Amino acid sequence: MDGLYSSWRQKKRPPLLRPTRPLVLANKVANRREQPGEATCITEMSVMMACWKQNDFNSSACAEEIRMFHDCVAKAEKERREQAEKAEEDTWGLRENLTSSKANKLLRRFPNITRYV
Amino acid sequence: MYACKFYIKIPRKNKNYFITSRRLTQVRWSRYNAQYLEPEVNRELLQKSWDELSEEEKAEQELKAVRPIKAAPSNVTSSVFSDPMISKFTNMMMRDGNKVLARSLMAQTLEAIKRKQLEKYHQAPEHEKDKIECNPYVIFHEALKNCQPVIGLCSITRGGKTYQVPVPLTDNRKRFLAMKWLITECRENKHRRTLMPEKLSQELLQAFHNEGAIIKKKHVLHKMAESNRAYAHFRWW
Repeated sequence: MDGLYSSWRQKKRPPLLRPTRPLVLANKVANRREQPGEATCITEMSVMMACWKQNDFNSSACAEEIRMFHDCVAKAEKERREQAEKAEEDTWGLRENLTSSKANKLLRRFPNITRYV
Repeated sequence: MYACKFYIKIPRKNKNYFITSRRLTQVRWSRYNAQYLEPEVNRELLQKSWDELSEEEKAEQELKAVRPIKAAPSNVTSSVFSDPMISKFTNMMMRDGNKVLARSLMAQTLEAIKRKQLEKYHQAPEHEKDKIECNPYVIFHEALKNCQPVIGLCSITRGGKTYQVPVPLTDNRKRFLAMKWLITECRENKHRRTLMPEKLSQELLQAFHNEGAIIKKKHVLHKMAESNRAYAHFRWW
């Protein structure tokens, strides 16, 4: 607060920031969307759809492409789950950035005390 | 039920929690604590000797000696006639909790399928008799597999507009959609006097041969997905 008002005498202008609430850190962080991922298996899907267009949506004619699509989807799903597990177990690891959910969990355990009873 | 002084119901992700003076009380869900294990219904596993089990299975069996086990629900049996897909389908057909009726309808459907196939079998010439499938369970599974869509549509909003984006479906979702389509088709598009088993057996046989209204519905979904393939990049998973 001093920084706002201390140099008023020199600058002869009122402070630019007029905080409506006291400048106190809250016990939660805003939700941040972590790197929106990309759509997986698009090539497989387009191959399958091209095959469908040729064979008039006959499933038996396109069995190979459908199988490849399913394999790709299963692989992407497994990768995503492994990534989520890895991020989960490395909770208090010393990486540069915490996700917002982990930061919130930490803050809930060690909150900023604003009131004294 | 836990006693609580005052409670506010909030729409949380898990709807079975009430907030009572800042602590969460569990209401209306499983009465077993976390120690209880699921009962083992699989006959083949029980018939294996100790040496044939793998490491994980041995660890599981040793755990069962020290942990309590939940009671088996009445729809779970180790009989050779029990089939999880058929049970799921019967449950979806059930209305107002009338499991007796749903099960009898299912039995009558399977009987109707068997009768029709047997009729075809006896009327067919010798060289074609091999091709006619008479097992109603096989027909049911094959028909359901043919009805399952490969790709689904998901509504994604971007910049105010909602797009139908083609999206891969999980196995559970595919099975659910196939069963749901089958049941709604048989309930709505039938003559007032035809009974459900009759209509269901017709639809199942048609689906087995890759014809019929449900297969058409699946193709319509595929066509929609194909026409919207430009929006596939809107997905983020």
